[in-house]
Amino acid sequence: MCETCGCGLPEEAKHTHGDHDHTHREEARLYKNLLDANEAQARENRQHLMEHGIFAVNLMSSPGAGKTSFIESVAKAVKGKLRVGVIEGDLATDLDADRIRALELPVHQITTGSTCHLDAAMVHEALHQLPLADLDLLFVENVGNLVCPGLYDLGCHLNGILLSVTEGDDKVAKYPVVFRQAQFFCVTKIDLLPHVTFDSSRPRREARILKGDLKTFACSAKTSEGMGEVLAYLAAEREALLH
Amino acid sequence: MHEWSLACQLVREAEAEAERRNAVKVFGVTVSIGQLTGIVPELLTRAYDMARMGTLLEDAALEVEIESVKGRCAECGRESFIQGFGLMCPECGALGLEVLSGDDILLTKMDLEVREKPFRGRGGVHV
Repeated sequence: MCETCGCGLPEEAKHTHGDHDHTHREEARLYKNLLDANEAQARENRQHLMEHGIFAVNLMSSPGAGKTSFIESVAKAVKGKLRVGVIEGDLATDLDADRIRALELPVHQITTGSTCHLDAAMVHEALHQLPLADLDLLFVENVGNLVCPGLYDLGCHLNGILLSVTEGDDKVAKYPVVFRQAQFFCVTKIDLLPHVTFDSSRPRREARILKGDLKTFACSAKTSEGMGEVLAYLAAEREALLH
Repeated sequence: MHEWSLACQLVREAEAEAERRNAVKVFGVTVSIGQLTGIVPELLTRAYDMARMGTLLEDAALEVEIESVKGRCAECGRESFIQGFGLMCPECGALGLEVLSGDDILLTKMDLEVREKPFRGRGGVHV
């Protein structure tokens, strides 16, 4: 019954009123994925990158694991063979972008303010700030955080995680969400292994339980030890995607 | 705290759905959170309480349901519920279970007060 006019007519005798609406209460059953909007944008980013023949890698890690050093090391190694560009994500400052700029590489800094991760829309904006026609390989350096970036597909072709030996060998089991989203992970700063307690087999073992096909590497950007295997893997993945 | 981003997305999606359905008020919304997402229900609720202010969802309580993790084993073919994040078959110990449920973040239900469409049929007699 309408509370305004008191009418409670059957369906066929319903009527319109000039001064009020009839309302009713209903329960809507839905199946709406809250990450759909981000995933749609991520697919668009991947398509956009493919059209330009760019292979893109999203690098995730906790702060200080060596993402920027890793990118610097790869960029130096492929200089003259592949044209590298970088999107940097940080809460504040463009210190990392300055390091990339020093290598004379195209870079765009995303300063997220208080947001703890990059998302596909931010990367989309950033793509329009880069000379895409002049790039072969794009690194997206995510905000240093081993929790939040795991939920957000950026539209890259590979998600990689870096884990430095100084962080401890138990981090894979402790931060499973982000590791589940990765295709590869790399233990970094292995030049420091003599100085820390780090069981190199443990992260590999724990990663296999989370994600059986996760590729694992170990490297030092400082001494270049192990970088060859990482480079070969990235080159093979790029080749498989683009050719 | 990615729960804040999710809460904002939830409010956007739920408000758009409410508008599509001509809702004048929303009493409640329900989300289903897969255990593999790592989303903390308490943080999501707290973030939602801030995100809903000044929107159509201002008075809508949030209910969070937890979706368990279910996987299918490629080795023995069995489907099992799994505790934690390790995708190991509890039956045969094989690794790399295919995830059947537990990694979604879904808006599943809304309790709404909806404005009815003006009547255009026969017998439009006002009483």
